[in-house]
Amino acid sequence: MLETLNQPPAAASPALVEVVKVTKIYPPDVVALKNVSLSAAKGELVFLTGPSGAGKTTLLKLLCRQEIPTKGLIEIDGNDLNNLSDNDIQKLRQRIGVAYQDFKLLPRLSVFQNIAMPMEVQFKSPGEIRSRVTELLEKLGIREKQHKPAGKLSRGEQQRVAIARAAASSPLLLLADEPTGNLDAATTGLVMALFQELNDNGSTIIIATHDESIYQGSNHRKFELKQGELF
Amino acid sequence: MRFALFIFTQTLRNIRHSWGVQLMTLLTVILSVLIFSFFYLIYSNMLQAGEKFGEELRLTVYLQASLSPAQQQEFTEKVAAFGKVDRISFITPEQAFQRLARQLGNDSDVLADLNPAFLPFSAEIYPHKDIRNLTRIKEFAEYLKNLPGAQKVQYGQAWVERFGHFVKLLRFIVIISGTLLILTTMFMVSNTLRLTLFARQDELKVLRYLGATNSYIKGPVLIEGFALGLFGAGLGLAALFFLFQWIRNHFSSAGFLQLFELRFLPMTNSAIILLGSIMLCTLGSLLSIRRLLKK
Repeated sequence: MLETLNQPPAAASPALVEVVKVTKIYPPDVVALKNVSLSAAKGELVFLTGPSGAGKTTLLKLLCRQEIPTKGLIEIDGNDLNNLSDNDIQKLRQRIGVAYQDFKLLPRLSVFQNIAMPMEVQFKSPGEIRSRVTELLEKLGIREKQHKPAGKLSRGEQQRVAIARAAASSPLLLLADEPTGNLDAATTGLVMALFQELNDNGSTIIIATHDESIYQGSNHRKFELKQGELF
Repeated sequence: MRFALFIFTQTLRNIRHSWGVQLMTLLTVILSVLIFSFFYLIYSNMLQAGEKFGEELRLTVYLQASLSPAQQQEFTEKVAAFGKVDRISFITPEQAFQRLARQLGNDSDVLADLNPAFLPFSAEIYPHKDIRNLTRIKEFAEYLKNLPGAQKVQYGQAWVERFGHFVKLLRFIVIISGTLLILTTMFMVSNTLRLTLFARQDELKVLRYLGATNSYIKGPVLIEGFALGLFGAGLGLAALFFLFQWIRNHFSSAGFLQLFELRFLPMTNSAIILLGSIMLCTLGSLLSIRRLLKK
């Protein structure tokens, strides 16, 4: 039954994300994930739910190759993450947008510069960068903050900048770790609308959250993690 | 083109964020280049002076008796057997006497009652530049002294030796200061850039998470190193030029500086110092970023 639930719908596109029997143990013996298998189709939006410490963040770190699994296989768009060269990892990361729980913004750079970074590393044209960043600033309601250093913003604003940066290059896969943790209901609505728009345009989105309000009543698949295991 | 634009923008951003440390490194490079090229300038001027003195160097062989033209020819052949000479002049006692009188000028009347025959017959030998170094000159003098009929050989030994030792000392200082300054510059540039990179470690980590390639991260750092080398050496050489002009304007008419014409470093040597500095600083920056990317 679990196996069936964790597979993408039969009629959906081929899988973009494949996680097969993945275990992650941190030294000396902290089991963060145990035998986790799941997959997400191209253009699918899925929720990864569960209480704090369930292993959601660890799973997202494994998906963007920030960590490597102790056991098991992870494939993104057909690429086995365990067997990628350094250069290939960087190329793959350019196609993955990540909104980190701790934001990972550069505090001395402006909001605009922070959001532009993923596009800069891909050498997009300055015009393209300007218009995309401005569009995202508008959509997330932080346009008037664009010249402010990211370090001077409130946590809610920083969270929106982190989300905008993850979405900036319209990635193939977007991973969002507790994206609404610091946001009020109205701003949560803006963020979810942005995710929906990206998803409609073909991005695969995995949202790790324990905020029931954003996944209750939605038609998207949910994976529930508890103590490192998938239920 | 776009790659170059991004790398350039990123470089300017980096320099703006760490301008204090960058300025200190630039000053270090300027000072290193200035010290090294200052010693090198003295050394090259000394070499030039040595060459000039070498052209005027002659060995005088005092002979026991006058030589007939046939004997002079034989003597010339024996001298040439050691090595090439530019010219040999035979000076008779009369010629030597006249020369002495000229040198004495107004005091030449002291020679009034003297017979020129008290002066020996001599040969003045102007060696070819191949045998103008100190060791060869000494060997040549020894050889001449042992020729039949030779009584004494003079060539201003003490002065030539002192000058030779001074040039040797300068060469030693240039080599030592050059080596030390090269090592210091590389160490300083590499460590300063490493410090600035260390302060930007979080930024580099984020850049890696966003998919920045090694060339995207390395590029600006290498350009920083290149710019440090270029401006450091350029300003160092410019400072040396102004120092040189000042010395020439204020001291060229004083004492021993009158003996030779002061010249600035030739363009080729200045270009070599500039390129060397650029290479060292770029290498220093490459070392620092490689160490950091390996972590």
